[in-house]
Amino acid sequence: MSELLADDPEWADVVPIRQYENVNPIAPIFYSEEYKDATDYFRGVLKTGEMSPRVLQLTERIIRMNPAHYTAWQHRYKTVIALKIPLEEELELMNDIATTFLKTYQVWHHRRLLLTALNSIDAAARELEFLKTVLRADAKNYHTWSFRQWILAHFNDEERLWAGERAYIEDLLEQDVRNNSAWHHRFFVVFSSGIRLGDEDRDQMLRRELSFVKEKIALAPNNPSAWNYLRGALEHTNTPFSTLTTFVELYTTSQPPSRGRDEDVVDLDNPPPSAGAQLPAVAALEFLADIYEKEGGDASAKAVEIWKSLANEKDVIRKKYWEYRIRDALSKA
Amino acid sequence: MLNHPTPTDGYETYTSRLQKETEELIKKHRPPHDTAQIELQKKLHFEFLLRNLRQGFPERYTSQDASQPWLIYWTLHGFSILGVGLDDQTKKRTIDTLLAMQHPEGGFAGGPGQTAHLLPTYAAVCSFAVVGRPGDGGGWDAIDRKKMYDFFMSLKRRDGSFLVSHHGEVDVRGIYCLLAVATLLNLLTPELLAGVPEFLATCQTYEGGFCNASFPGWAFEADDPETESGSPKTYDPSAPRPPLGEAHGGYTFCAAASWVLLQPYIKLYYSSAGGSLTPVPSINTRALLRWCVQMQGLPIELGGFKGRTNKLVDGCYSWWVGGCVVLAETLLGVTATHEAVPHEHHEESDEDGQKSWDDADDSLFNRKALQEYILCAGQHPAGGLRDKPPKPADAYHTLYCTAGLSAAQHRVIPSEAREKAVISAWNSSQAHAKAGTAYAPSSDADREMLDELRKGIFTHAMSWSEEDGTAVYVGGAANRVNATHPLFNLTVTHSDGMMSYFYGQTPPSRYANKPATK
Repeated sequence: MSELLADDPEWADVVPIRQYENVNPIAPIFYSEEYKDATDYFRGVLKTGEMSPRVLQLTERIIRMNPAHYTAWQHRYKTVIALKIPLEEELELMNDIATTFLKTYQVWHHRRLLLTALNSIDAAARELEFLKTVLRADAKNYHTWSFRQWILAHFNDEERLWAGERAYIEDLLEQDVRNNSAWHHRFFVVFSSGIRLGDEDRDQMLRRELSFVKEKIALAPNNPSAWNYLRGALEHTNTPFSTLTTFVELYTTSQPPSRGRDEDVVDLDNPPPSAGAQLPAVAALEFLADIYEKEGGDASAKAVEIWKSLANEKDVIRKKYWEYRIRDALSKA
Repeated sequence: MLNHPTPTDGYETYTSRLQKETEELIKKHRPPHDTAQIELQKKLHFEFLLRNLRQGFPERYTSQDASQPWLIYWTLHGFSILGVGLDDQTKKRTIDTLLAMQHPEGGFAGGPGQTAHLLPTYAAVCSFAVVGRPGDGGGWDAIDRKKMYDFFMSLKRRDGSFLVSHHGEVDVRGIYCLLAVATLLNLLTPELLAGVPEFLATCQTYEGGFCNASFPGWAFEADDPETESGSPKTYDPSAPRPPLGEAHGGYTFCAAASWVLLQPYIKLYYSSAGGSLTPVPSINTRALLRWCVQMQGLPIELGGFKGRTNKLVDGCYSWWVGGCVVLAETLLGVTATHEAVPHEHHEESDEDGQKSWDDADDSLFNRKALQEYILCAGQHPAGGLRDKPPKPADAYHTLYCTAGLSAAQHRVIPSEAREKAVISAWNSSQAHAKAGTAYAPSSDADREMLDELRKGIFTHAMSWSEEDGTAVYVGGAANRVNATHPLFNLTVTHSDGMMSYFYGQTPPSRYANKPATK
């Protein structure tokens, strides 16, 4: 039983249009019969500008065979709007496509267009929940995260949308402290997008964030995501790196973390490395060198020493870069 | 030492397990001690690309049906880097195929009958640079530049960004594609570029790399034709413009290349001499450099590049990030040779040879290691190149691994001498006459600035050159591939040729004898 539109009397009134007329194309793609058929008819309805229920079916058909067909998505969106299809229904219909083709741009952009048109906090809140299920399957999916951030910024509702994010991120970092997408999301929520409800005291917020990232560094010191977050937080708030000297020095030592710690002394500000930590951590050495470089004067020599050890021993793949840092510092001395 | 795995601190997570698995796979492809044995299988890769071109692409490439110009560009530019030319018949067929994808309202689409889109527009124009020429049947004169410019302007948003297509998304890849094309085809104007630097600057994340887009790229006014419904939010220029998505290799390349392309515009239109009080937009170039070099993997991963922090190495980032380091160096003004004097290149197995290699090499990333990744892990034994073993080869990875190899072999940087030579032959009225837009400056002063802009852009783009003696070839000169322009990813022959035509210029040859001193 043929599934082709060419054999479907419902489509007999549409003139299919071949992709290439009078051209012998270079590098053709060997489409399946179904795909060729569907896109021939799609070109036909594009020409007449038809926007109808059967066009919705046709665009869905094409999208399932090629989710990157942006023209099909574009025409589908226009048709959904023209036919006044309930947008929540369209969103739900697209859920299956989203989870099947989660690495495709157009899938997410379509949802963004629908949410914009819906203009509803309820829909946005539901979407955030839906995205959590997608992220469970692929915790670093770029488009999903970017889309999540857009929803939060666009609808900008503290209680219904922003409020749950930090806890969600903390969950994800419990599961995988090396999830850079989650760290980026935290920065987005806490630092980049205005002031969150409850974070009006910026000093308190920064103390909390520094405490958080230091704990995570203590857990797994060779985690560039955590160090980048720390550096970002300090730079964003114009807090000198030198305020973290004591903490960082715990991670630049070559001594393995001591097993028996003095139980009476607990330094909350400077959580020490976990028992399994592999020290020194390259990122800690880099951080310390940055502190010395900023200090200048006699400290510059200490920075140079660290960069030399990175270049020649600890981080040899980046030798050229560490040598550049040396030249750069010396040229400014 | 050199094969230490990434430290896990006794605390495993999904990321560290995946990283460990990958290291186990990749380290099997460690280069032999005698690197002279490493061979780039040029013939096999050429045949891989040729098969697709001649016989067509297998059914699984249906996913690229909306990227047909890309299939052509990846193949043709792949040939160019590998040093293979095309016969006239193939060129003609390619030109006809590309023209079938030109949209009647301007720009190129992913295929005939599809709507115009910035990304395939770049791929199509670059393909024209490879196979086309002026005159009848050459394709270049059949590109409708005026309509293309109108298409670009119709996509422009209030926050300086551009949609990639009508009802499409905002994306820095689109902005790069637009800027590269507008530069090649002499379409740059201040109205096109207004707000673009500011937008790009908002896409830099705290990590130093760049992301996909920033907010509020999609906030529409009620009368915006891009919205067809309801009551959208109103654009608020004072709202925070946070980056959406983490720092990522592809976007970082696009943003950095765009930023370099925008330098002449920024210098002219933001200077206090121009009477402008607008703050000069800026990015953190040191952070950009840091992020790029941090993306190079460890020796155990053969020094390939990753696309994001705590993700895996992938051959295509050899170009997107490996090829981005020189852009960061250029922006920092550190491309000039430093104190080490270039030596004659020796075979690299002995210690002295290694030292002379290092001395001669000004790049801030490990070029040798990147070449080893591409040659030892990136090549598929049956032809073509790939993400990483044991994945199959595909056209996209073949191009970007090859381009990355080129970027690691050749150090192509802006040359002051070359720029001066091009400036000396600059003909302003010709460039004005050949401009591809109907844009009319509103005053003589504006007209002068636009002339200066065209000159600045043309001469800068034409100035990128490879200094003699700075190339390094892992496995020897037999593995040499052609150099590619760091801004466009075309050979300089192709980018020079296209730009010279569309700006009406006759710059001095790159290969002329040095001019006699006056």
